[in-house]
Amino acid sequence: MPDDRPTPFGPDPDLREESMQLGADPEMIELRADAASEGRDLELPGGDHKSKALEADAAATAEQKRQRRYLVKALLRSPTFMVGLIIVLFWVFMALFSAFITQSPTLTDPNISLAAPSASHWFGTDDLGRDVFARTMAGARTVLIIAPLATLLALLWGGIIGLIAGFWRGITDEIIMRLIDVLLALPIIITSILILSLLGKGTAIIIVAIGALFTPVVSRTVRAAVIGEREREYVMAARLRGERSAFVMVREILPNITQPIIVEGTIRLGYAVFTAATLSFLGFGLAPPSPDWGLTISVERVFLQIAPWTVLFPAAALASLVVAVNLITDGLGRTFSK
Amino acid sequence: MSAAEQPTSAVTPGAAALEVDDLEVTFHRRGRRLPVLKGVTLKIERGQAYGLVGESGCGKTTLAMAAMRYLASNGTLDNGRVLVDGQDVSTLSEEALRKWRGGKVAMVYQDPTQALSPAMRIGDQLAEVYHYHEGMNKKEALEQARESLRRVAIPDPDGTLRRYPFELSGGQQQRVVIAMALAVNPQLLILDEPTTGLDATVEAEILDLIEELRGRINAAILLITHNLGLVVRLCERVGVLYAGRLVEEGSAKEVFTDPRHPYTMGLLRCVPRFGMNKTDAALQTIPGTLPALGDPLEGCVYSARCPMAQPVCKRREPDFYAWPGDAAIRGQAEAEAMPPDPAAYSPHHAMPVGESSRHTRCYFTADVESMPHLTPVLATSLDERGGDTDVLDIDSMVRTFKDGSKKLTAVANVSLSLKKGETFGLVGESGSGKTTLAKCVTGLIPADSGTVTFEGGILKSTAGKRSQDALRAIQMVFQNPDSTLNPAWSTRQILTRAVRKLGGAKEGSVRAKVDKLSADVRVEPRFLFQRPTELSGGQKQRIAIARAFAGDPHLVICDEPASALDVSVQASILNLLVELQTKEQASYVFISHDLAVVRYISDRIGVMYLAELIEVGAAADVFDPPHHPYTEALLSSIPRLDFEKQRDRIPLRGSMPSLTDPPSGCRFHTRCHRSLGDICAQQVPPDMDAGNGHTYRCHIPPDELLALQQAGASEPEPAETL
Amino acid sequence: MLRLIGRRLLLMVPTLILASILIFLLAEVLPGNVGRSILGQYATPEDVAALNRELGADRPLVVRYVAWAGNFVTGDWGESPVQKVPVRPYVMAALWNSLILAGFALILIVPTSIVLGVFSGLRRDSALDRVITVSTLSMTVIPEFVSGVVLLYVFAVWLKWLPVTALAPEGAPFYERLYYLILPAIPLMFLELGYIARMARVGTVQVLSMPYIRTAVLKGVPRSRVVFGHVLRNAMVPTVTVIGSQVGWLIGGLVVVETLFSYPGIGKVMVESALNHDVPVLEASVLMVAVVYMFANLVADIVVALLNPRIRKGG
Repeated sequence: MPDDRPTPFGPDPDLREESMQLGADPEMIELRADAASEGRDLELPGGDHKSKALEADAAATAEQKRQRRYLVKALLRSPTFMVGLIIVLFWVFMALFSAFITQSPTLTDPNISLAAPSASHWFGTDDLGRDVFARTMAGARTVLIIAPLATLLALLWGGIIGLIAGFWRGITDEIIMRLIDVLLALPIIITSILILSLLGKGTAIIIVAIGALFTPVVSRTVRAAVIGEREREYVMAARLRGERSAFVMVREILPNITQPIIVEGTIRLGYAVFTAATLSFLGFGLAPPSPDWGLTISVERVFLQIAPWTVLFPAAALASLVVAVNLITDGLGRTFSK
Repeated sequence: MSAAEQPTSAVTPGAAALEVDDLEVTFHRRGRRLPVLKGVTLKIERGQAYGLVGESGCGKTTLAMAAMRYLASNGTLDNGRVLVDGQDVSTLSEEALRKWRGGKVAMVYQDPTQALSPAMRIGDQLAEVYHYHEGMNKKEALEQARESLRRVAIPDPDGTLRRYPFELSGGQQQRVVIAMALAVNPQLLILDEPTTGLDATVEAEILDLIEELRGRINAAILLITHNLGLVVRLCERVGVLYAGRLVEEGSAKEVFTDPRHPYTMGLLRCVPRFGMNKTDAALQTIPGTLPALGDPLEGCVYSARCPMAQPVCKRREPDFYAWPGDAAIRGQAEAEAMPPDPAAYSPHHAMPVGESSRHTRCYFTADVESMPHLTPVLATSLDERGGDTDVLDIDSMVRTFKDGSKKLTAVANVSLSLKKGETFGLVGESGSGKTTLAKCVTGLIPADSGTVTFEGGILKSTAGKRSQDALRAIQMVFQNPDSTLNPAWSTRQILTRAVRKLGGAKEGSVRAKVDKLSADVRVEPRFLFQRPTELSGGQKQRIAIARAFAGDPHLVICDEPASALDVSVQASILNLLVELQTKEQASYVFISHDLAVVRYISDRIGVMYLAELIEVGAAADVFDPPHHPYTEALLSSIPRLDFEKQRDRIPLRGSMPSLTDPPSGCRFHTRCHRSLGDICAQQVPPDMDAGNGHTYRCHIPPDELLALQQAGASEPEPAETL
Repeated sequence: MLRLIGRRLLLMVPTLILASILIFLLAEVLPGNVGRSILGQYATPEDVAALNRELGADRPLVVRYVAWAGNFVTGDWGESPVQKVPVRPYVMAALWNSLILAGFALILIVPTSIVLGVFSGLRRDSALDRVITVSTLSMTVIPEFVSGVVLLYVFAVWLKWLPVTALAPEGAPFYERLYYLILPAIPLMFLELGYIARMARVGTVQVLSMPYIRTAVLKGVPRSRVVFGHVLRNAMVPTVTVIGSQVGWLIGGLVVVETLFSYPGIGKVMVESALNHDVPVLEASVLMVAVVYMFANLVADIVVALLNPRIRKGG
């Protein structure tokens, strides 16, 4: 066998030609072939009884299920996704049940203030003698309430605005995009400081503020995806069929841009955790004695030199959560782009 | 300097320019071996031009990349050798390989707009070659670069040196790539689909250039293409590749006039010959599809699709027999002598390549001539399809776009009409306004002015304002099979929705109608449960056609419906359209840049140039003199499959003018070879009447034009069909 | 090229006006009552009304905006009711401090991230590529106060290599000031590293797969020339675009890092004025940040245009 080491620049030129012939990756085809045979079985028994419309839809739902099953399989095989998922699930579990596992995160004991980690206090205690382990576990709660809800709000608002701007274009689009440009002319953290310093604190306000501030970015992503789809020929075919705009937007285009929306959602989720933690660090979030991580780091950091455990454990906890969310994002992105 | 680093100008005496010996290349994907090339043996003598043809995915480009030692990282060369000028490519050291690439072997690529580094000036990209191969300093190298541009006849070589690729047209970029390839006087020039994607007239210019350069350089040529006409034009020899095997090889003329492999025969039969019309002969199709990479292949690779396959063909792969003699006698004999149990057969390994100039990989070579025709003639004459009543009447349609601050006229004052059951072919190069016109008719975009009368009523400007009946009656088949169907819907959902919205059918009959539609377009029911991504290009296009016919349309606009498909699939799509038209009596507007296809399928043809409809008439009339000088030039630029009738090409001057600033007077005068001078530049020409409803926009009257054009060339007859 | 810059500068004007309106509205209208928000809830209504009159807060909104914007443009930024100092020198000094920190951070960020990104792009899918990608991305997504606290502990408290504070003693020479800025600059670097490195990597990978790189290799150009002449030149365009768009994040990072390290920059001023309802300082600092941010984007656009002949020649 001669030295046929490929050059480091070999970009699989011909493989692309071949894979176009293949249509998709071979495993995908096998899986789908299975699915197709299931589909046939599914169709036969119902044939005479069901209404025709229902039946076509049933076949389609089955098809969608199969598609979903394939994606789930692929995701379960992705190590980054799985590691991220396990960490996030751990924190969700702690947010829900840490109250039954650890002592109270707000229980003070002046006798043992700033005690080093030990068997009775795994992570040590803070200046008020509170158990750092209990506080670290409970600290997941606020961020896991704020970040997902804020993200969902941003996806909802951004999705609607992006769909409308991308689909209608013209003057509507022009106005929306100009406004978004202005909103994005200020760094998000600064706008949120402005809003929160004036609206006051509180979980609901933080959720709405972060949701609102992420809306422009989400709507930009959605708009770009819609614009990519709306010039496709199947959309033209729908228009030649006399479909209403709402139908084209929701039934034709939306199903084809769910993947970028999901990826954008997980990206925003990571940012939302980041932003929520940063805001509470800066003093615009929750008030003591909340065990929130950002707040704890901000309050306890004066003890960094004498009792680093009061700061480093919540810091590590926060870091693990944001990294985990981003691992999920990465896994999703990779699976979708395959 | 070591032996491996011999200077590029040295030629090994007696060695062929390229010798490929029993080559086997495999790709590896997720632990699976996907063989791409197997047992490929071929030889290109010095100075010879060799054409390698086959449909997409058959391994053509892989062969070229193996010759360049540039396989993808997951590809391996498992067996065989590649020798260029007597030198085994795989034995070269890194540095020798670098010198050898671009020095001994050079390549011209498919898409010139992607082949040049976008952020680097043309001059620097050319000078690089001289610098690294000939050791010239920057000044000398640039001087040479200028020379090389002159050699490929680029206007303003000095200016071009300073330009970036995006400032050149596609044709000019391809000239630069060719100049780059020929810079160091290579022994072998590989042309990988060098004109695919270029407009017909640009393609012809590039072909002229290659032909002209061949006289001046001593490089052998390996031309990789799916266009058989290109091979006829440029090559002495041809090899036909199917599923990674060379199935037939020989002199281009012999292989194309007397094919001895059923695949070659099939390929030749499924391309419409120049001048052929649907009422004369049907296009033959090749049943089935190309085997996917990695599919198990028993016996002859083509046996699954071959109309003459015998049981033996599925059992053992035939050798690459020499023809005549060897193949007919030995192949048949082997087939007859082969025992019923393949395990008992000891393979015959004589590799008969070498002495004879023709080879074929078939047991039944002698029977190829009489290979059965599978498709009957489908089209009835226009009269039988309806023919007399006007369906569509477009009157002075104008459509403009904004291009920055300028106004771009995409459709300039076009009028045309269409009868019931008629196919109106619309041809023109890219940017001539064909698709814009189609979109205005369907109402996807509104026209600026002009009226569209459809079955007696004036149509509203956009689809959104039209009645459901009007929408139903005018449907469209799009170009790109990959985006024409919604990937989120199953095929059945797509057709069901179309039937509900357009068919006006009662709820109970929707299902029956969907089944009928899919049967009409010959899509098996099991595919109805799949999504478009799981279908082949041809199947997708069939579903798209079924969707257009959901509401029994009276007019279907087909915008290049088959140009993205391989020729064998293209033929079946064209046949399907003809069949449906005969059955449903629908009218077609058929848009294509492929003149032979348009000539085949159309009853009447319109030619567009720079947003204007410059000629309209019956298909045969437009293709024969007298016709518009642009049509004449366009027709002359098509590479044909007929060896005897290669006509002199009429070169067009200059390049396509901008649509934002079209020429005054006759829009074609800046490029016209029959220009009369000032009158053409100053006055808009009238529509000359050449009889039989044939008009063309020119200052030269029909009789004069006829005399001029007949002096130039003999009349092309429809080619005899194989 | 000049036309491009001119057009971009002109486009900045309406954006800035809209941004200033936004800032003005958020800072002055939403709290409802300026005097009340300054004096707090225990002040008498008379005192609040008096202060409002003094500040001109009882005038109509449009009048107040025009007066404020006019004063701002002419350099009269007023006086801080909390700090009792003129706003302009106070904010400008803080801005200057921030620019030094941000500039220092950028000098660290740009070469590091580009080298890492291009390197992992060239060795795509190798173990090294994975390590670089995952670690830089993790650094980026971790909030800067978390990485800052950890770095502070490791390098200042534990190893004692670097000072705990960010501000050098009064009158220290410039290089010593930079020495004090190393620790705050690193979290800022982390914040940007992942995205810029990722962009550089993606750009490199994409360019490597382009047909023109195949052309370059197959015309016999040496590898080094392919990488530096062809790949880098084309891969830098998306990378620089991202560096420009990341300036916003850098400013966000400044806010946090300055607070964490008690560094008297514009971010810290902003946070404090927001917490103390120091409205004139808040308005001035936010507006200045917006101006800097837009200029940074403009610079990035110009660099992109310089790299991309299509934009440069398109004017």
